[in-house]
Order: sequence, then structure tokens, then C-alpha cells
Amino acid sequence: MKPEQFKCIFRCVAAIVAAALAASAARAQQSLPQLEEQAMRAAVARVAPSVVKIETVGGLERVGKVLVGTGPTTGLVVSSDGYIVSSAFNFAQKPSSILVGLADGTRTPARLVATDHQRMLVLLKVTVDELLPVPEAVPENEIQVGQWSIAVGRTFEGREPNMSAGIVSGLNRIWGKAIQTDAKISPANYGGPLVDIRGRVLGVLVPLSPTSGDDIAGVEWYDSGIGFAVPLAHVNSVLPKLVQGTDLKPGIMGVSLNGRDMYTKPPVIVACRPNSPAYKAGLKAGDRIVEIDGAAIERQAQLRQQINRRYAGDTIHVAVLRGDERIERDIPLVDQLDPYARPFLGILPRRDAPADTAGIPVRYVYPESPAAKAGMKPGDTIAGFDGEAVANRDALVERASGLEIGQPAKVELRRAGETLTVELAPVAEPTAVPAELPPAREGNPAAPEGERPQVGQFAVKIPEFKNECTAYVPEAYNPRVPHGLVVWLHPPGGTKDEDLLARWKEPCDRLNLILLAPRSGDPARWVPPEVDFVAKTIDQIREHYNVDPQRVVVHGQQAGGSLAYVVAFAHRDAVRGVAAVDAPILGRPPENEPAYRLSFFVTSAKKANFAEPIKAGIEQLREMKYPVTVTDQGDTARYLDDREFAELLRWIDSLDRI
Amino acid sequence: MRCATGFASAVALSWLVAIVALVTGAPSAGAAGLSEVIGQVQPKIVKIYGAGGFQGLEAYQSGMLISGEGHVLTVWSYVLDTDEITVTLDDGRRFKAQLLGADPRLELAVLKVDATGLNHFELAAATKAEPGTRVLAFSNLFGVATGDEPASVQHGLVAIKSQLEARRGVFDTTYKGPVYVLDAMTNNPGAPGGALVDYEGRLLAMLGKELRNSLSNTWLNYAIPIEEMATTVDEIRTGKFVRKPNDEPNKKPDKALNLALLGIVLVPDVLERTPPFVDAVRPDSPAALAGVQPDDLVLFVNDRLVQSCKALAGELEFIDRIDAVKVTVIRGQDLVDVTLAAPAEEK
Repeated sequence: MKPEQFKCIFRCVAAIVAAALAASAARAQQSLPQLEEQAMRAAVARVAPSVVKIETVGGLERVGKVLVGTGPTTGLVVSSDGYIVSSAFNFAQKPSSILVGLADGTRTPARLVATDHQRMLVLLKVTVDELLPVPEAVPENEIQVGQWSIAVGRTFEGREPNMSAGIVSGLNRIWGKAIQTDAKISPANYGGPLVDIRGRVLGVLVPLSPTSGDDIAGVEWYDSGIGFAVPLAHVNSVLPKLVQGTDLKPGIMGVSLNGRDMYTKPPVIVACRPNSPAYKAGLKAGDRIVEIDGAAIERQAQLRQQINRRYAGDTIHVAVLRGDERIERDIPLVDQLDPYARPFLGILPRRDAPADTAGIPVRYVYPESPAAKAGMKPGDTIAGFDGEAVANRDALVERASGLEIGQPAKVELRRAGETLTVELAPVAEPTAVPAELPPAREGNPAAPEGERPQVGQFAVKIPEFKNECTAYVPEAYNPRVPHGLVVWLHPPGGTKDEDLLARWKEPCDRLNLILLAPRSGDPARWVPPEVDFVAKTIDQIREHYNVDPQRVVVHGQQAGGSLAYVVAFAHRDAVRGVAAVDAPILGRPPENEPAYRLSFFVTSAKKANFAEPIKAGIEQLREMKYPVTVTDQGDTARYLDDREFAELLRWIDSLDRI
Repeated sequence: MRCATGFASAVALSWLVAIVALVTGAPSAGAAGLSEVIGQVQPKIVKIYGAGGFQGLEAYQSGMLISGEGHVLTVWSYVLDTDEITVTLDDGRRFKAQLLGADPRLELAVLKVDATGLNHFELAAATKAEPGTRVLAFSNLFGVATGDEPASVQHGLVAIKSQLEARRGVFDTTYKGPVYVLDAMTNNPGAPGGALVDYEGRLLAMLGKELRNSLSNTWLNYAIPIEEMATTVDEIRTGKFVRKPNDEPNKKPDKALNLALLGIVLVPDVLERTPPFVDAVRPDSPAALAGVQPDDLVLFVNDRLVQSCKALAGELEFIDRIDAVKVTVIRGQDLVDVTLAAPAEEK
């Protein structure tokens, strides 16, 4: 120990002892709880002049599906000339007028200056005659887990603030954005300060969720022993931008990563979105991100920890490994990417190519497609792409997903023993379904010797769920032939097994499809936790059968169709298509991404119960550049007729289009 | 500077512990004191069983002994709406209880069991709490204690002392007085009627019924101060209690005020929460004479916040048309107060 450090500690100890002795005379009769109580009251009294009440007029009653309150909420003065920070939660309903009640009881109108969408804060401005008291912030590096933290709000009647005590439970929560506390955090104090035992501000209370960025995400955790506060030091650091009226948004780099398990997988780039910051910086598919701003990155979760707290406009220093080469780039983050449209060449591959043959034989060429214009024909074999050989269909699908629409690519073909190269520029995926399709395979390989998994109609059980589930696997199932998987989610009331089989047995046998029909616990309705059940049945079939990853479709009617959307959005690595009959979208669709192909087959009808939301959903998907095939059923919504059903089958049969 | 920051945080963490350790020499003295306090309070808490047990209504609640002769203070609720009220004491003894009286306005009831020499609270010795006062809440929440098991105890602090009823319809309760709002999850099924005490075991309040705040869609944890109830309880005990005439403050007048009388036309009410903007003011009407203008946004009626056209119309129904009304509007960025009175009715 250095002498000055020793002296410092000695002085500290001496000061504590002196202070304690001085206090002991006056407080000889007081217990620890009493002293703590006094300290907490003093802390609240110290910050109270900076804590204001916020009331709003007008605005939405619901945000999404949640009924939002109109109760008063809290704000914190951050600048003496009248700037007040609060939680964005309080403004999710987009009020038409805002009133601020200052600590002395005066009410004054306020305007919304800017929103921090990354940390869910808003900045308000009131006009003041006298300067407002600005609270002291605790430096971020002084905050320690276990120390007292007192949440302060101003939402009840009367002049007093309301308080709740707890400790700091964690730091750098929600991807490095927030302090966690076990004080009771709720609409009674969202927007107010979390203070230390001395009344200095640790942070501003906000509802946050690690998984969702919605305005009101995290509210379901109110008064649960888990609450969050954005460090005031951070708020102060972005204040100049907010004061300018600049909204702050989460920063995006524009890379797609491999797989969904962020805690085990290394962050290897599968694709960079065209025109994204990563793309412009020259990052490429296959690059592995190893460092951001000097912090080593091994897992995808660590990458998220770094990225998810940055703002659009921030620049990060990224190091990637490309093979053995280390490449470093400065990448400025943006708030929005151009929506990704999957590039399309215009062919369907055959599915009976032996795995050891190099190349992919062409099954079908879409009329008017780039492939057709370049003269490609059924029977050609695609051998390579821009000088690189492609081994099989899935490699070709992945390779093609990284192309750019309108940018010419060279395709090497084999035709009748000759090799030729054609050049074609991909276009966006078609939404029309081919009227007729040649078979995807001619004959099957010999089935392997030995036991086959169960075929025909049988029940699937998932141990932790009580739900029932029926599966149908063609009697002639051959484990060497990849099968499509259709998951049927029934409408309210359920579907009888015999009706289901009457419809699906023939197409399953003919087109090599497996049918899976999970059922809701209550036949009348699906509930959100059952999304997990459906996903687990899909996983179980994929585990035991040869399932073609390009042809996994979730199909449902009415509530079942809405659930199909939820299942697909939550399990993008497994699901490639949603066929929703008479069903509006539930939840916000994720962005279209190269790594997670997704197509939609949707019906609409003028007099459907949810005609408007269904229409809006279709528009939304199209804006996000998803391929959406819409079947107009006229006036009345119903299940698919024979012609429409045949079209659905061809849609499923063409999901591996390239 | 490093020394200074190190010192600051060292003090922040060790300050209070250091004082107590030096003064008392026993850092855990506070905790030992607390369990003693808890031991003294628990015998005063009783478990009450009565009607309910269907449709999600629990057939039990809590109560506290307020005399050595078996007087029990609890909340007035459907649980007591039966001839068979059972009170189980802390020592496990079960008694059939008699309902001496109840005051629905205060949501309180007094029961009597036939016993003597009971450990009890003296209502006259009850004290008051302030925001920040650390408290213990005793109750049989969720009916988890049975027989001679002592009541459960929870800790927390008084978040604020506040009126429940300041804005109409926020809380579905007949009690309109002040309450202690708590920062602990105290108001669970079975807890109503339990006791709130300070860290020295002094009675502060009675835990109220479960209550939802309709403004924020959150549950409220609160207790009703003893000082609000003491007189009524005494009256019930001495048989002098007479139900007060229903001086319901929320009673609507026979002839209420409305916007047409004031000459205000609002924008069409098309949304769930259409902000109450003034669309037009009829000439020579009270509003016109007071200077109300189109595009004013009405914020307060008699200082009550009105957040929508519906809320404004609803608020006026509580105002007699012979009374003047204070209306606060926002015009641009200014708040403007006007006082309006409907023209006298012609006979």
C-alpha cells in the first residue's frame, strides 16, 4: 500500500469515528431502523423540489392491447430553465395536452421536446419564472449493488411526494442501459428519480423489458421487486441532443447472425443488409465479430450487450476475423435499414439430386423471371455462382440471399454435357403462385434398412404441456426423402381429426408432407403460452423425421391463423411460411432478414370480422418487403375452397424457390 | 480527488452501521428488538371466517383485538354477511362472534367474542405515521395461518399519506378519508382487517380491502388510520352508534349544469378520449361573456382535471345549475381561469 493511500484510509476512518461519536451523544436512544428512516426521509426531502407531477389530457385509451391509464405520473427536473425528464410510458397514449405540477403546487403547461426511444425517456419543457432546482447525480461508477435506493414519485393527491425503499439489485441491466432496484416501481413513480440515502439521484425510473422495445414493455413487472432506472449521469450526457429536439433511437449495424441461441453461438455474420452500415464498411458473410470498441466478443449475447445500448449516430469500432485476417472498421450506426427484399432468380430446384453430385438440377423456370430471360430451362443444372461451386440447394438458397436486387450475378450451368455461363440480375420474389408445377422428384431412393419412426396418424405428446396434438406421416414415409411440414392451428371450436385427415391425407402422400395438428387446451381459444407448445411439437417432428427446412409452414384459421403469425415470428429459424385464413396479424412482424426466410399466404374478405386489421397487416408485411400471396374471397370469409386449397399446396411446394 | 470519492462511498455504506456498532456495540440490536415487537403484536391479531368461498371470494379476513373482553376491529365486508362468524385467536381458541355494529362509510365493523383477559391494542394509544415511517403489517393474508399459527408479518414503509377520493371513479370504495399508502404488497386476499404498526409495535392503522386504481390500472396497498375510526368504534362499543344519513358527497343534483346552458360547444366526441376542445361559443352566452374562445382546451372544472369530452360532461352532472363553476382552459401555452354561471331560469 502506498503511503498516500494509507493516509487517505486513515483519514476516512478517523472521520467516520469522529462523526459517529459526535452523533452518538445526540442519538444515543435511536436504533438503526430509526436512523435509516430519518436518512430516507431526508433523502426524499432533498430531491422532492425537483420532482414534479405530470397530467395529460386526451390521447389513446389502448396502446396495442394494453389498457393504459391516464393517472398522473412523475417527472424530474434536469435543467433549471424548465427541462423535465420523464418516462416514455407516460406518453405512450400520445396525449394532446401535458400539464406539469411543480413541487410548490403551481400547474403549468408543458410541451414534449424529444423522446429517447432507446431508453424510453421523454424530455418536456415548461416555461418558468423562477429557476427550478436541479438534483445532484451520483456518478455512475459510485453506484454499488446492495446500497439503499429510494424511488420517489409525485402522483398522489396533496403536496407530498410518494416513496418506496429498496436496494440496488443490479447494474448495467437491459443490455447495459439501466440500474435495477427492488424498490416498488410502478406507474406511481415511473418518470421519478431513484435516489441514494443522501438524496442524490441514481437514475430516472422507467419500465424496461430485455426482450421488447415497445413503449409500454416492462409494465407487467410493476411492483414485482424488479424495477429499472436509467442512470441520471447518462440522461445528462444526452440532454444537449434532446434539448435540440432530436429524438434518439436505437442504433443498428445491419448484420444478420447465425442461429437463435445467442448465449452459445459466436457472432458470425450470415449476411449484411444492402446499404446498411456494416455493408458499407465492407463486412461480409462469414466474418466473425470479435471486438467492439475494445471489448472482446465471443457470444452473440455479448454483441447485443454492446450494440443494444448505442444510439443511431454513434460510431463503433468493430474488429472481425475473416479467416485468419483481422479487419477493423469504424461503423456509424443508423436508426433504420432499408427493408430487405429477398433476391429471386426465377427457378425451382429439383429435390431428387443425389447429395454427392455437384450442382442443382432445375425443376421449373418462372415465366418472365430473370432466369427465363437468361434462357435457363428445366433440366439445366446450376453448378456455380460467381465463380464458386455450390454443392446443394440449401447452400444455393443461402448464397442467393446475399445477392443484391438489380446487381447482375454470373451463374454457371451444365446443359447436355456442356458448361455455359449466364448473367442475370435478381428481382424481388414473386407473389403469384405457378398455375402448374412439374414434380419435384422422379422416383425415390431405396429406403434404408431397419426401423422407421412411427407413420400414419398418431398422437404427439410434449411432457410439460397437457395439450393434445395429432400428427400424420405418409404410410410410404422414406427417411431419405425430405418432407415438408404443415402445422395446422385450428379455429375456435377445433377441427375433428377425421375432417383434417380427409383434407390432408392425399396431399401429404402425394407431395411428401407431414401434417401436425396441435390443439389448444381450451378448444374455444388459444392462449399465448401455447406458442411454446406449438414450437415444441415442431421441434419434436424435426428431430425424428427428415424435414425439409425450406418447407415448414404454419397454417391456421381465425384465432389459429393469428397464432400462426405469432409462432412464425417467435421461431423464425424453424418456420418458412405462414398460411393464415381469415386472421389478423398478432404482434409486430420482425424485419425481413436474409437469414430467416419467411413467406405469407393470406386470405381476405370484405365482410370478415377483422377485415380492416387483416388488410392493414397485409400492407404492413408488404411494406416490410415480405412476399405476401393474397387470396380474395369476396364478401364472406370462409376456409379455402378446392381451387384455393390446391393453390395453397402449390405455394407450399414452391417455398424453396430461388 | 480519488481519496474524496473513496471516502464518500465508504461513508455512504458504512455510516449508519458504524454509528450503531459504536453506540450499542451490537449491530444486530435492531433486529432483535424487531422480533420482540413482532412477538408482542401477534397475539392481538385474529383470524376471521365467515361467508364467501365461491366465485373467487375468500371466506376469511383478519382482525385485531381492541379490548381485553373480546372486541375485534375489522373491515366491513361480505365475509361478515352471515350469522356464523368465527374468530380464531392467536392461541388457537375458536369463538362464535357477534357483529356489534358496522359503519360502511368507514368500511369498518366491530365484533365481540365471549372471552376475557385478552392481549389487545388500546385504540386511544394509537399513533400516527409520516411518509417514510417504517411499518410492520400483520394479517392472515391468503388465509395461510390456521389454528394457533400466528399471523403473517410484512415490512415496508409509508409511501405517502393521501386522500383516496380526489378524482371521481378512481377507486371503487365508499371510504373517502386519508389513507397510508404502503410500499409493501400488504393488501392481499385475507389481509383486510389486519394491523399496521410502527417498529415499536404502536398501532397506526387497519389494512383496507383490495383496491384497484382505475387510473393507472395498478393495485393499491393501503391502510386506514386509526384516528379516522376511533370515535365510530367507541360509539359502536357503547351502543351509541347511529348510521349517519347518507351525506354522499358524490350525489348528483336534480337539475345539473350542462354545456348548452353555458353556451359551450365542444368538438365532436369521436374518440374514447376526445380532448375537450371548444369548437364554438354561442353569442351572448355565459361562456362568451366570460371570454371563452374556440380552440380553448378545457382542463379543469372546479379544479378537477377533465381528460376528455366525456369526463367534462360527466363532471358537470355533479354541479347544480344554480351554482357558479370555475373552468380552467389552456389557450396557447397559458392557463386561463373563468367563472361561469348559468342564466337564472325564467319562472
